Amino acid sequence: MQEIIKAKKLMKSYGEQLVMDSFTVTVRRGTAFGLLGANGAGKSTAIECMLGTKKADSGEVSILGMNPISDRKKLFEKVGIQFQEMNYQDNITVAELCETVASLYKAAAEPLDLLYQFDIMDKQNSPVKELSGGQRQRLFIVLALIPVPEVIFLDELSTGLDAAARRKVWKILSSLKEKGLTIFLTSHFMEEVEALCDDICILKKGKTVFHGTVSEAIQSSPYEKFEEAYLWYTEEERIDESI
Amino acid sequence: MKAFRTMLKTEGKLSLRGMDMFLFAICMPLVVLVILGILYGNRSAFEGADYTFLEQSFGALSTIAVCAGGVMGLPLVISDYRSKGILKRYQVTPVNPAMILVVQVTIYMLYAFSSLVLLYTTAVIFFGMQFRGSYACFLGGYLFVMISMFSIGMMVGGIAPNTKIASIIASILYFPMLIFSGATIPYEVMPVTLRTVVDILPLTQGIKLLKAASLGLPISGMIVPIIVMITITVMCSAISLKYFKWE
Repeated sequence: MQEIIKAKKLMKSYGEQLVMDSFTVTVRRGTAFGLLGANGAGKSTAIECMLGTKKADSGEVSILGMNPISDRKKLFEKVGIQFQEMNYQDNITVAELCETVASLYKAAAEPLDLLYQFDIMDKQNSPVKELSGGQRQRLFIVLALIPVPEVIFLDELSTGLDAAARRKVWKILSSLKEKGLTIFLTSHFMEEVEALCDDICILKKGKTVFHGTVSEAIQSSPYEKFEEAYLWYTEEERIDESI
Repeated sequence: MKAFRTMLKTEGKLSLRGMDMFLFAICMPLVVLVILGILYGNRSAFEGADYTFLEQSFGALSTIAVCAGGVMGLPLVISDYRSKGILKRYQVTPVNPAMILVVQVTIYMLYAFSSLVLLYTTAVIFFGMQFRGSYACFLGGYLFVMISMFSIGMMVGGIAPNTKIASIIASILYFPMLIFSGATIPYEVMPVTLRTVVDILPLTQGIKLLKAASLGLPISGMIVPIIVMITITVMCSAISLKYFKWE
């Protein structure tokens, strides 16, 4: 299977502080990759270094066989991105934001179809800032899907979504994945990771403490539930200290 | 082009929705023109002058919109879009992030030209103004003043660390220039000592240029204003190109 995302030994520090240590991943076409870790573990930094919005100190990245900085124009025709704090203008409406985003791409999806699919069609004339948290989150996923991407980056995919909306989003993403979409996501919901991700990587203070499948993560831990295993990986040190 | 058109349409709508540029760049110059027109009417600019006071002030009034857009609007919108991460967001699209800056500059140019047309029509129809200079010279000078003012705005917006500082710098530049450069209060009614002081404001020089162009006065006295404006434009553009921060 084709390797869509390749990051090799990415390093990044802010001053003295090392925030990403030798981050290495490979994501194959049509699979979903989950990047996990506590707040401040370096997930967003990793995504930003991969996308080129932050410059890694060293290491190599290729997405769809292209360099995110030198092939920016060509690469980002095919990449959808949902940032953690989504950025939009004051007073802009849902329809205006979608139309503007769609105008940036040579071949964009019809925003109305996506708004309908994500149940926010009726909000198209509302200002974005008046949407509820969950509606806004769904809008940001819509924006990430507008380019008809081959690969999509979702930073904290389902934050703010209620249980039903979350399941619906998972369903849509799973079916897109079956059609060949490659997904790179970060999440704090272990249920979501189990439902969507083929491979995961757990970060702790910028270091990769686990890399493999969800079931491997459970097997290599003393626990039977993924959430407990995850906590064991991220809090190992504290447990050791308390013993 | 599709991206530029759509962005221009959306950003234009957002700017009008904000109302402040409509007030400061379209309404305010018109109000000042009407007040000066009523106060001084067709009175001669000075004894023996062959043009009226209003004709003399037209060049100055036409820069109010340029000043509002370039020194107030532009820096605020750039620093706001940076702090919201909108500039950064464009880095991960196929479009060059500079496009959104070009769109904003275009919007403020449109405000300035709309204001110019509105002022000209009002002055000609209601106050019998005669345009004595060359239209080509005036438009060239107007564009030149605009580029110069916008380069100041680009620099402030490009390097101010946050929206708050950008708005403080913008206010420090905008209000003195608006009041003392002759844009609202005519340079001619200022005491001589004050004139010497306000001569350091770049807009004062720009207004001298436009005044000469609109009245058809000889270009020979305009060397100093032209040099001042070119220096400012080059300096500010160089600083913004070198130090512009996208996030």
